[in-house]
Amino acid sequence: MKEFYKKLRMTFPRKLLPFSAIAVLIVLWHISIARSDSSILPGPWAVVLGIAELAQKGLLLKYIVASLFRVTWGYLLAASLGIPFGLLLGWYQRGEKAFNPIIQILRPISPLAWIPIAILWFGVGDSAAIYLIFLASFLPLTVTAMNAVRNIPAVNLNAGRNFGLSEGQVITRILYPAVAPYLIVGLRITLGIAWLVVVAAEMIAVNSGLGFLIIDARNAGNRYDLVVAGMVMIGLLGIVLDIGMRNLEKMKSIRWGYGGN
Amino acid sequence: MSDGKRLLLGLLLWTGVLSALHLKLNFDWSAVVNDRLPENQRRLNVAYIPVTCHLTCPVTDYISRFSASGNIFIPKMFQGFPEIKEALIANKMQAGFMVAPMAMALQSQGVPIRIVYLGHRYGSAVVVHKAGPVKTFPDLKGRVIAIPSRFSDERLIVFRALKKYGMKPSDLKMVEMAPPDVAGALAAKAVDAFSMGEPYPSQAEIFGFGKVLFHARELWPDYMSCVLVVRTDMIENRPEAVQTLVDGVARSGHWLEKGRPEREHAADFVARFYYNQDPRLLRWALTNPLDRVMYTPLTPFKPDFDLVRDLMIETGVLEKKIEFSDYVDIRFAEGAKIKTAWNYTIGSQHAE
Repeated sequence: MKEFYKKLRMTFPRKLLPFSAIAVLIVLWHISIARSDSSILPGPWAVVLGIAELAQKGLLLKYIVASLFRVTWGYLLAASLGIPFGLLLGWYQRGEKAFNPIIQILRPISPLAWIPIAILWFGVGDSAAIYLIFLASFLPLTVTAMNAVRNIPAVNLNAGRNFGLSEGQVITRILYPAVAPYLIVGLRITLGIAWLVVVAAEMIAVNSGLGFLIIDARNAGNRYDLVVAGMVMIGLLGIVLDIGMRNLEKMKSIRWGYGGN
Repeated sequence: MSDGKRLLLGLLLWTGVLSALHLKLNFDWSAVVNDRLPENQRRLNVAYIPVTCHLTCPVTDYISRFSASGNIFIPKMFQGFPEIKEALIANKMQAGFMVAPMAMALQSQGVPIRIVYLGHRYGSAVVVHKAGPVKTFPDLKGRVIAIPSRFSDERLIVFRALKKYGMKPSDLKMVEMAPPDVAGALAAKAVDAFSMGEPYPSQAEIFGFGKVLFHARELWPDYMSCVLVVRTDMIENRPEAVQTLVDGVARSGHWLEKGRPEREHAADFVARFYYNQDPRLLRWALTNPLDRVMYTPLTPFKPDFDLVRDLMIETGVLEKKIEFSDYVDIRFAEGAKIKTAWNYTIGSQHAE
């Protein structure tokens, strides 16, 4: 028996491991649905057919575009404001002392708790959803940038100044390379949060997107195949976004921060 | 090209392509154009959720588009009453359909809205497991029943039933649940019963896991649930637009009461173009039997609302007594009394 496992380990390609785990999950899902007496929960094949139906009606592309659009704008706005703000707070300690308490108070509030306020300010539409994603991304990115600056060893900065670098040169030649790897990690984690929030926001504040697909399918009667189809698409797109962010880590100016990898 | 420039270019391209696709595929340009018009020419934005209680909203929109004057308002589908309430407060919606107790409670809390018309009559029911142990209402003692909101007539029906059978509120465990989830919860036996508006009782019947214990009208002869509310600034500044809206809804109500073909046609186009539901569901709710949900008479009557108000006070969701004239503006319903059904033949592209 031991020989068999050893041989299996030797012959089973490493790259297939993730797919085999997914395959096992799908088989378990199929068996549990087939053995249950519920006609409500869909099996994997029903979900595949549901996704095909959405694609055929043109809804899949529409909803994916809507969700990605909202995440892109909310997230980019947060990154373009939150990162410079965090860098400033990290650079100027007085700023950090002044703003840190309010950041720490606001940070634990779930972006979803802001939904009623978002609707009151922006109504129902893209603006409300983008605002919620902005909120979800802004504070984590600010804190990441602030901590990234605070973590730069003072000796590096002092050495730069001793070599006669101007303030601008210290920023471009010491600060930027030092904080970039931290920022990329923060950006990756925050994108995951933004993706979670867009789905929840679309369940309430808009009439398109993958979150809307789920709530709309709930309203459509016994269409739990479409509910799960929405969940599957959210998961798959989440992976695609994460892979995209991982590619940023391969940039030359970032790679130094990841050791031998 | 440096990494930074490549990244910036990639981001610009990604954002540009996504924005262009979104504007093409998802954007409601008619609403944008409407918002740019002078205020006195703008069509009202009307909020609804995909239930039969709000059916006159999509029916009016669908039929009026074939009339000489075109669509008389812009319908906007929501997923729940709290969001409709917030959109009304923010003036993003000027009118909307919502459950009567919520409209009354909001008005008493100072939200600037008035009830101008009813959405329907009847069309709510208490549903239990088809093969379960509950055969009569008293069998529900000690069990869990789902209701859509504490501010709903469906909750008040349960209280009326409790009173009729000499039971106490503590004999039941009432849980608030989003309407789309109740049929699934009943099928999964997470709840023992639910009190909801159509099409959720129909859904439980069609899929074979639920049966109607009683329809609302059996305990409440003139039962009404959802109402049409309008912001008071619209009533003051643009009464003619409000009258057009109420007239349209009244005409749709009369048209739906013409008979089975009209109801089946409405089930088909509303399910396909507005609610995104299986048309069988609406067809069942609208024709099984034909008077399961009624769309006339929709004029608000004081005794109906007094009854709701007193039940609300009795069950702790309204603090003080409010007068009918404070929260209902009857003049639009009076103005719509002379209106008749849309002159619209099924399948034609013409309506008057």
